[in-house]
Amino acid sequence: MKNKKIKRPILWKLVLVIGIPLFVIYSVILVVNYFQYKDSYLDQMKEYLKELTSHNAADLNSQFIQIAEQPKSIATMLGTLKKPDVKELYSLISKTVESNPSIYGITVAFEPYSFNKKIELFSPYIYKDNDKILQVDLAENYNYLHSDWYLIPELLNDFYWTEPYFDEGGGNIFMCTYSFPIRKDGKFMGIVTADISLEDLKSRMKNIKILAGYTFIISRYGTYIYHPNEKDIMRETIFSKAEMYDFPAMRKFGRDMISGKKGVESFDDPITNSKQWLVYSPISSTEWTFAAIVPEKEILEKVNEMVIHQLSIMIIGLCVIILVIIWAAYKITNPIRKLAGLAEQLATGDLTVQMTNIKGRDEIHELAMVFNKMVIDLKHYIHDMTEATKAREAVESELRIARNIQESLLPRVFPPFPDRKEFNLYAKIIPAKEVAGDFYDFFFLDDNQLALIIADVSGKGVSAGLFMAVTRTLIKTVCQKDVSPSEVLRKANYILCQDNDACMFTTLFLAIYNVKSGKVSYANAGHNYPVILSQNGEWRMLDSFNNTALGIIEDQKYKVGETTINIDDCFVLYTDGVTEATSPEKELYGEERFIKKLIKNLSLPVDGIINKINEDLAEFQQGTQFDDITLMILRRNI
Amino acid sequence: MRSVILIIFIIIIFSTLLYSQEESHKDTILFQVQWFPQSQFAGYIMAYEKGFYKDEGINVKLIFSDGSNSPIDELLKGNIDFCTAWLSQTITSKAEGRKLVNICQVLQKSSLMLIAKKSSNIFKPEDINGKRIGLWKGDFTIQPNAFIKKYDIKCETVQQSYNIHGFLANAWDVESAMYYNEYHKIILAGINEDELVTFFFSDYDLNFPEDGIYCTEDTYYSRTELCRKIFQASIKGWEYAFNFPEETLDKVMQYCDEFHMQTNRSHQKWMLNVIESSIKYKTGDSLQDWGKLKKEDYEKVGEILKNQEFIKNIPPFEDFFKEFQYEE
Repeated sequence: MKNKKIKRPILWKLVLVIGIPLFVIYSVILVVNYFQYKDSYLDQMKEYLKELTSHNAADLNSQFIQIAEQPKSIATMLGTLKKPDVKELYSLISKTVESNPSIYGITVAFEPYSFNKKIELFSPYIYKDNDKILQVDLAENYNYLHSDWYLIPELLNDFYWTEPYFDEGGGNIFMCTYSFPIRKDGKFMGIVTADISLEDLKSRMKNIKILAGYTFIISRYGTYIYHPNEKDIMRETIFSKAEMYDFPAMRKFGRDMISGKKGVESFDDPITNSKQWLVYSPISSTEWTFAAIVPEKEILEKVNEMVIHQLSIMIIGLCVIILVIIWAAYKITNPIRKLAGLAEQLATGDLTVQMTNIKGRDEIHELAMVFNKMVIDLKHYIHDMTEATKAREAVESELRIARNIQESLLPRVFPPFPDRKEFNLYAKIIPAKEVAGDFYDFFFLDDNQLALIIADVSGKGVSAGLFMAVTRTLIKTVCQKDVSPSEVLRKANYILCQDNDACMFTTLFLAIYNVKSGKVSYANAGHNYPVILSQNGEWRMLDSFNNTALGIIEDQKYKVGETTINIDDCFVLYTDGVTEATSPEKELYGEERFIKKLIKNLSLPVDGIINKINEDLAEFQQGTQFDDITLMILRRNI
Repeated sequence: MRSVILIIFIIIIFSTLLYSQEESHKDTILFQVQWFPQSQFAGYIMAYEKGFYKDEGINVKLIFSDGSNSPIDELLKGNIDFCTAWLSQTITSKAEGRKLVNICQVLQKSSLMLIAKKSSNIFKPEDINGKRIGLWKGDFTIQPNAFIKKYDIKCETVQQSYNIHGFLANAWDVESAMYYNEYHKIILAGINEDELVTFFFSDYDLNFPEDGIYCTEDTYYSRTELCRKIFQASIKGWEYAFNFPEETLDKVMQYCDEFHMQTNRSHQKWMLNVIESSIKYKTGDSLQDWGKLKKEDYEKVGEILKNQEFIKNIPPFEDFFKEFQYEE
C-alpha cells in the first residue's frame, strides 16, 4: 500500500488550491506595489537627499558663522579704541587665531596712515603653519589696498567673503577670507579678516558622504571651492563645465544654485553618459552652495533593493505557507494512509489490526476510532457467524436425515402396483424446504379398495415433517377396511387434537377408490378440492362435503361424499402449493391455469402430466418456491 | 711630431665645439609676452611647439610675464630681444624717444570694453553718470578715459583688481574688461549675456589695435632677417592655432597648468576665438594681410594719446612700423 503511487495526493491538491492562488495574489500585489511605490519612493529619496544636503550645508554654515564672528568682534572693538597698541593688537589676533581651530589666520589691515601717521600701510597677519603661530606684516609683502579682501568690503562698506585665492605673500595657501570693515566714528579705518584654509575644508568635505555620490561646494559665482577632482578647484566653474560639455541644463542648475535655492534635479550627465541626480542646498553665510551628485543607478538600486526585500519577505512567507500546507496535509493524510493500509490488511482477513497512536480529537481520530470499533465488531460478528453456521450445518444435517426418513415414509416406487391394470397412479412432492409438510399416501384396504390420501401440514420443516409422519401413521392405522372415510378422519382428528400444544394442524383429503367399479367415497378435512377430468376435457371439482382441518376441533365430524370415476378419467389430487404458487410479479398460479394445463396434457401418461405441471410451475415461479408442491393423479383404465 | 699635430688637431676641434656652443647660447632669442600663458599668446606657443621658429633657423625662448615688469622696459634694457605690447603703450614710448619698432601688429581690433549689469540701470554711456567705474592701471585707462571724456560722464573711478569679483559683488557698477577674458569670466560666473550691457571701445571710434611684436631699432636694423623670421614663424603659429584649435588648447592648457593658472579650457577656447576674430579683423583668412599696422589706426591712437596729453607729438609711422611680408 505504501508503495502504491497515488496520482493526485491531497498534499498536491492543497498546494495547488492554496499555494498557487496565493502566489498569484502575492505577485499581483508586488507588481502593483512596485509601480505604485516606485514614484513615491523616488520622491522620498529626493526629500531625503535634500534633507541630507541641507543638514551638511547647515553644519558648514554654522562653522562659517562662527568664523565670521571673530573679525566682527575685533573690528567692533578696534572701532572703539582710541589708539591701539601694536603689542596688544598682535596678542589679540594671536589669541583669536589660537582659540579658533577653524581659522587659519587673521589680519587687521589699516587704511593708509590710519594706524600710525608715519606708516602708510600696516597689516599685522597672524597665521598657523604646521601648528606654529607665525606673524607677518602684509604691507611688507604687497599693497593690500587693491586685494579683493580689502577693496571689495571697503567699497561695499559691509562684510565680504572672498572667492578662493592663493594668498601669495601672506598665508601662502589656497584660502577664502572673511572681511569685516573697521569703522571709527563712521569713518572707514580698515579691514579685519579671518581666513579659512581650503585644505581644511577639503579634509572636512572628504568625510561627508551622500550615498555613493560625490559632494562639492561652489561659490556664489559658481567656482568650485571643493570638488573631489582637485584640478577643478578654483579653475572650473559649474558654468565652464556646462560650456565645455555644451550642456545648457547644467548652466540653468548652476544659476538656481547660486541664487540660494534648494533643489534636486535629475539629468543626463554628458561627462559620464549616465543619469545623475544633483541635489543642492545653500550655505547662507558665504552664499556658497553645498551640492552632491548621486548616480540615479544607485537610487534605483535602492528602490529595487526595497522591492527585492519585499519580494524575499513574500517568497519566505509563501514558502512558510507551503511548508505549513505540506505539514498539515501530511498530518491529515498520514493517518488516512495508515488506515488504508490497515483496511487492506483487514481485507486479507487479518482481524488483529488496530489503529494505534492516534493523536488529536479531530475527524481523523473519529475515523480511526470507528475503524477500530468496526474491526472489533467484525471480529465478533464473524465469530457469531461461524457459530451460527456451525449450528445451521448441524440442523441441516439433521434435516437431511429427516428428509430421508420422510422420503422413506412416502411410497416412492412407481408404478406402485405393477400388476394392477385397472388404474395408473403417480405422485410427486417438490418440497420447499428440506423437510416437507405435504404428504401423500395410497394403499389397498383389500383387493379392490384403494385408499388415496393427500395432505398439507401447517408450517414447514422438521416440525411439519414430524406432524406429517404422525398424521400419516395415524391415518394408516385408523383407515381400515369397511371404515368410512369420515370415521377415519374423525378418529384421526380426535387423536391429533390430544396434546397438540404446538397447535399444528393438517388439511387432508381421503378417498377410497373401488378399482372395480370406479366408485369413490371421500372425506375432506379442509383440503383443496380434487379434480376429475374426462378425456374429452370436461372436468369437475369435488367441492362439497368439506370440513375443518385435522388437529383443530377435537370433536369435529366429517361428512362423506361419493362419486364415480369413469374409464379414462383422471382423478387429480393436489396441495395448495400448486394453485397458490406465485410468480416473482406476485401473480397467483391459480386453479384455472392449473386445470387448463391438466387438460392440455391429458393425453400424456400420469407421470408425464405431473412432470409437465411441475415444469410449468417451475417456469412460473422462477425459483421462488415458497410452499411444498404435491400432485397425485389416478387414471382409471378399466 | 705626429702626436703634436694630433693634439693640436684635437684642441682645435674642441675649441670649435666650445665656441659654437657659446654662439648657439648667445643666439637664443628671448621673446617675452605681456602676461601669463593663455590663448592670447597661442600663436607664439604653437610656433614654438611646432618648431616654426626652429624651422626658420632661430632658437626662440618664450618668456611669460607676471605683471610685475613691463616687457617694453625689459626690451629697452636689452634683457630680451622681442616682446609683445599694446600699441598705445609703444606709441607713448616711441614719442618719449624710446627706440623701438613694431614688426608685426597682431591684434587689429580692441578687445577692451566696459561692462555693466542691466540691474544697475545702465543701458547707454550717459547712464554711467553718478556710478562707480572700475579701471585698471596704465594703458588700460586710456580708452575708458577717452570714452568718459567723450560722453562727459561724471563718475567715481576705482582701481579694480585683475578679476571680476568686485564687479560681481557690486562693489562697482562698471567693469573694465577684455572681451576675450573678463567678459567671458563673467559669463562663467553664471551671469547671462542678456543680463549685461557692453560698451566695446571699438564701437565708439576708440578702436586701439592691441598686441603687436616689438624689438629695438638696433635689433631691427642690425638683424632684419631675424625680425622677418620672428614675423614669419609667429604668423605661421597663429595660422596653425586657428586651424588646429583643439591641439592648440591642449598645449595652452598644458602651459597654464605649468604656471598654476586658475583657468579652464572653456575659457581658453573662448579667448582663442576672440583673438582669432581680432587677428582676422577686416582681413579674413588672407595671411598676407595679417600683422599689418594700418596707418589710419596708428594715427587715430596717436591722436587720442595726444589729446589726452600722453604724448606731445605722434612719431612718424614709417619709423614706428616696419612691414614684413608673409611668405607661403
